[in-house]
Formats: sequence, structure tokens, C-alpha cells
Amino acid sequence: MDKNLTEDSSSPPPPRPKWRKVAYGGMQTGYDDNYTDETFLDEMVMNANVVRRDLLKVMKDSISISQYLSIVALVVLVWFHTLQSSLDENSLLLLDLSLLALGFLVLLLTEEKMLSLTLLLRYLTNITFFTTGLYILAPVYQTLTRSISSDSIWAVTVSLLMLHLFLHDYSGTTIRAPGALKSPSLTSCISVNASVVASVFVASRLNSRGHVFGVMLFSLQVFLFAPLVSYCIKKFSFGLHLVFSFGLLGLTLYAVYVVHRLLFVLFLVVVVVVNVVCPYWLIRMQEFKFEINGPWDEAKLCFDITD
Amino acid sequence: MEAEPKIRVLMVSDFFFPNFGGVENHIYYLSQCLLKLGHKVVVMTHAYGNRTGVRYMTGGLKVYYVPWRPFVMQTTFPTVYATLPIVRTILKRERITVVHGHQAFSTLCHEALMHARTMGYRVVFTDHSLYGFADVGSIHMNKVLQFSLADIDQAICVSHTSKENTVLRSGLPQAKVYMIPNAVDTAMFKPASVRPSADHVITIVVISRLVYRKGADLLVEVIPQVCRLHPNVRFVVGGDGPKHVRLEEMREKHSLQDRVEMLGAVPHSRVRSVLVTGHIFLNSSLTEAFCIAILEAASCGLLTVSTRVGGVPEVLPDDMVVLAEPDPDDMVRAIQKAISILPSINPEEMHNRMKKLYSWQDVAKRTEIVYDRALKCSNRSLLERLSRFLSCGAWAGKVFCMVMIIDYLLWRLLQLLQPDDDIEEAPDINFINDKK
Repeated sequence: MDKNLTEDSSSPPPPRPKWRKVAYGGMQTGYDDNYTDETFLDEMVMNANVVRRDLLKVMKDSISISQYLSIVALVVLVWFHTLQSSLDENSLLLLDLSLLALGFLVLLLTEEKMLSLTLLLRYLTNITFFTTGLYILAPVYQTLTRSISSDSIWAVTVSLLMLHLFLHDYSGTTIRAPGALKSPSLTSCISVNASVVASVFVASRLNSRGHVFGVMLFSLQVFLFAPLVSYCIKKFSFGLHLVFSFGLLGLTLYAVYVVHRLLFVLFLVVVVVVNVVCPYWLIRMQEFKFEINGPWDEAKLCFDITD
Repeated sequence: MEAEPKIRVLMVSDFFFPNFGGVENHIYYLSQCLLKLGHKVVVMTHAYGNRTGVRYMTGGLKVYYVPWRPFVMQTTFPTVYATLPIVRTILKRERITVVHGHQAFSTLCHEALMHARTMGYRVVFTDHSLYGFADVGSIHMNKVLQFSLADIDQAICVSHTSKENTVLRSGLPQAKVYMIPNAVDTAMFKPASVRPSADHVITIVVISRLVYRKGADLLVEVIPQVCRLHPNVRFVVGGDGPKHVRLEEMREKHSLQDRVEMLGAVPHSRVRSVLVTGHIFLNSSLTEAFCIAILEAASCGLLTVSTRVGGVPEVLPDDMVVLAEPDPDDMVRAIQKAISILPSINPEEMHNRMKKLYSWQDVAKRTEIVYDRALKCSNRSLLERLSRFLSCGAWAGKVFCMVMIIDYLLWRLLQLLQPDDDIEEAPDINFINDKK
């Protein structure tokens, strides 16, 4: 009644008609319903989409992680020095200002967009609003956790920072340039929030209003905009990204070494694990990759859906 | 007293009427045909709204609406053991011999199958859907399925692709998995007595839930292109869902208000009346184990254009369907091809062919064979069965064994509390023979 659908089935006994991979027409004569043809699972494809990675590429990619680790370590060091009162208000504010200017400069240099007066004005007003708000709120932050013991605050801060590092979006940036297409994922938003709360907790342990303002401004600047800046650098040139990362890494190692030997060793171990051990591990685990595809898979749309 | 029913089947699924869909239809028609073949069929499902307790449907089909609230997507909350007492009571009351579960994501079905195996009943399972292997949901679902099917007597799939999928997911031996397709009630889906003329306007009908999996996004791309290429084509879209808004937007963006008619949700009883207004049926699903909608359309004499996904290529002979890859350009090409061969299509002839290709009686007869084979399987002791579960995985195997042992102990406890003899047996009422 119909054309033959299956391509091959070598030699069933002559009287039997060929088995066909069709569902219509009732039970096929000569074949039980549980008959399994030789063509069974012919269309199954194994490991079709597996990307073979090489060690060097993975190691290069993991540099972004250690770069961000050093950024966070530097922030913690600044907190430490402020708490120890070895960093006074003025130098803190100077640091804030220079970071702001540097970050802004990097964004300007790496972005293709030309700077116009209106855009500059808009950035300036935004920054003014931001800092003014922070300055007004500084006394509130200062007394926010007075009734809570320092131990609890340190414990919570450390766990929040851990959460921040675990959920951080290392490949992109949560804070996006205006007009970006994709919205950030939930986990990266949680990560950013965890870092902001951690900074508030640390700031609330400081004695003077000026310190609180300085530290808050510093941590917010770094946590919110450092990923954006490093993302822009990476997009601009990978070589520059490597130089920047190694520079930061060296600076952090030195700064940690000055503070504490054991911490230095610990940080070094973490960096080695992230950049050498984990990539090697990943490459080794690739062998165990087992992926099955076939006609039962949900078809993927070949165009973007913009809801 | 009439002759004893040959096989006593309990159909278990979370999905049954008044809910509507492929599984519900399948259970209902299969049960009706099995009843006509002289078997006893009882259906067990969860409560729908205030519909609880025992109901009788056409032909004396007894339905237990177990007072268990649905949790998400019409499935009951998985409790593992809480359904044991009621399953046991129903099995005893109705003197069931074969338990037949339907649909892989019905928790009620999995629990009932587990309890039935603990109590030594024969179990058959029908898988109605396809699953991937990559995402988190599928991985867990497949583990549950592996557990549920580890000790099953026979399994049924609705298409050959579905069989391949089920064998891979559950690790069942191929010989235990049968392919028995869905069918269509051709008497309910007859072509219109006067076919709408295709000379001036060609109507393309789409009836599906407007969700991602059914390819609503493909429709958004395809409809404007077809409308631009063929000024004499109009679309009728039946169904509702989250993507409704996107279709409306598309209609407004391309000013197609007079050429794309959106009907909203179409109740199953009205599907035929919508189908017979059209010439071509368009199915844009991204995944489909079988697709009954195509059968219904073909039975109404419509030429089908469908995406080539899952089991769809097996459903109809080549000359009754035009297949396309699930990308907009290929689908537009397929629709153009369908329009060009439309004059050679005779709905009445198509309907008659469908009558020969699919019938629920045939499905019931083939299912009967599966039940017979299941009944011939030897009964295994608990220890033998545990070894099967142990081989399901390093950790999962041990967990599965624990689950089964506890279930066995609970069953023994229940037997102490309420001995089997205390459960009253329900009398068999043979509606079909009484009428004669």
C-alpha cells in the first residue's frame, strides 16, 4: 500500500515481508510487536556535541577566575588595613577616586562608542547621586550592627564572600553596559548582593563616618564595576587581559605576603589549584563524557526568541 | 452468572478524564475496547476537583477517583508509601490480575506499580512520551523510570522511536518492550459532507497548546512568510497557552488580523468542527512521541504538514503527510509543497484509508497479547527481585532495595492489620452482555 520507509534490513526469511519502521497499519505480518529490527538505535549518535578541549586553552580561560580571586583578596586586604587603622581616611578616599578615574578611563578606551558631552554629563550625575546617597547613609551603616557581636559579623562576612565567589559570573559581567541584550542570571545577581551585604557588614565595624563612607564606596566600586572593567579589557585584547591578570596576581601575592605568611601560602595554593590542577582534572574527566542524542531529542530552534 | 472475565486489568495513571490529552484518550478507548473483548477493566486516578470516589463510565468502565490532590501539572505529590493501603484494597476488591500503568511522569502510576509488584501482581507499563538524556529533569526522571521498570513484566511504547528511547532510558531488554501505537476514533472524526472549496481560499488549521514544546515560536515565524507568499491562504489557530501573546503580536505586526483567526482553547468535542473547515493541518511540535492530533486531522481528510521530530515520521504513510525539519524555511517549503499537491487529495478516500490503518480494537487486541505474556511470566521471590534493583546503580541500587524492602514490610503489616479476607470483593456487573 505504501512505499518502503526503512533503508535496509539484510535478510529475513523470504516469505516474510520486510519490516518497516512504521506505526500504522496494525501489527506487521510475521513480526511480533516486541520485534527488534537490526536498524534498532541506528539513529543514535554518541558524543556528537562534545568539544575536545586542550589544556592550554582551559588554563588560559581559568586566568579570569584567579584574576577575580586576587581582586577580592585585595578588597579584603583594604578592609583589613582600614580596620587596623593603618589606612587613613584621606588615602582611602584618594584610592576611591583614582580607581574611579582609572576604571572610567579603561571603559572609555576599550569601548567603541564615542564619548559625547551629554553622555559624560549623565555619567557624572549618576556618580554624584551614588556618592551622595552613600555619604548620607554612612551614619546608618556605621550603627547598623552595633547590637551584634563582632564574631557573628566576621563569620557571616566570610560566608557571604564565599557565596559571592561561588556564584560569581566569571565569564561575563553582571553589571552590563546599557542596552545589553541578555539579562543577568539569578545566581550572578545573588552573588552581587552577597558581596554588597558583606561590605555593609564590614563597614559597620568601623569607627568613623569617613571610614565607613570610604570603605563602602571602595567595595561597591570594586564589586560592581571591576567585573565590567575586566570584561571590557578581555574583550578588547586577550594579551592585555593576561598582563592585567598577572599584574594583579603579583600585587596580591606581595600584599598578602606582607600581612601573613600562612595566608600567602594558602592563596598561592588556591591559585595553583584553580589554574593548573582543575584544568588538568577537567581534561582528564573529558574521557568519561557520555552523551546520547537521537530522534527523540527535543528539536532546538535555529533562531532567537525575543519575548 | 456470566462467564468470568478473562483478564482483570487495573489501569493506573494521574491522567484521566475530565482532564484531556493523549494519555487520557488512550486509557479510555483502550479500556472500552478491552471491555468489549470480555475483560474486566478498572481505572484508578486521582481526584479531579470535587470528583472523588467511584464512578461508572460508558460500558461499565469503573473509575476510582482516589481522594488525592494533584500537586503540579496534574500529578499527585510523591509520597512513595502513602498510596499502598488504597492500592491494595482496590486490587483485592476488584480481584485484579494485571496492573497497567501509564505515563512516565505520573507519580500515582509509579507508586501503584511498585506496590503491585510487592504484592506479586503482574505489571505492564506504557510510556507515552520521549525524554532526553542531558538536562537535570530528564536525568532524575530516567532514574525513577529505571527503578519503576527494573522489575516490570512487559512495557509498551507508542512508536518505534519511543521504544528506542525507553530501552535506552530504563535499560530494559528489547524483547520486553512492545510497540503498540495510539489510534483514532474514526467515527468521531469524519470529513465534512461538503468539503470547503480550495479554489479561492486555502485554510491551514493549527490546533495545539501554544507552548514552547509544541513549537509555537515556529508558528510565529512561519505564518507571516506563508501569508506573504500565498495571498489566498488563511490560518485558523486553535489552542491557548503562554505563547498566545506572541502569536497575537505577530498578527498585529504583520497586519494579518483578517487572515489569521485565533480561536483560543478548543474543547476536544469541538476539534472536529474546527478541523473540517480546513484543507491542511499544520503541526509544529518540537518533540512528540506519537501525536494523535495528526491522526485526527488525517481522519477528517486534511493533508498534514508536520515537523520531523520523534515518532511523527512513523505515524502516517508518506503520501498523507509532508514532513519538514523544524526550521521556519523548511516548513514554509513543506507548506508550499502541500498546497501544490492539495488538488489530488480526496478527504473521503483519506478517511477510509485511516479506518484501515488505525483502530482502537486493533490496539486492544495487541495489548491483550501483552497481558497474556505478562501473565505467563514466572513469579519471582523478593530476593530475586532485589538483585535486579541492586544492579540499577552503585548508590541508586541500594536506595531502591531499601525502598522495596520497606514497602514489603509495610505490606506485611497491612496484612496483619486487615487480613486479605476482610476486604470485600466487588461483584462484576457485565453491562455489555446484559444489554444483549
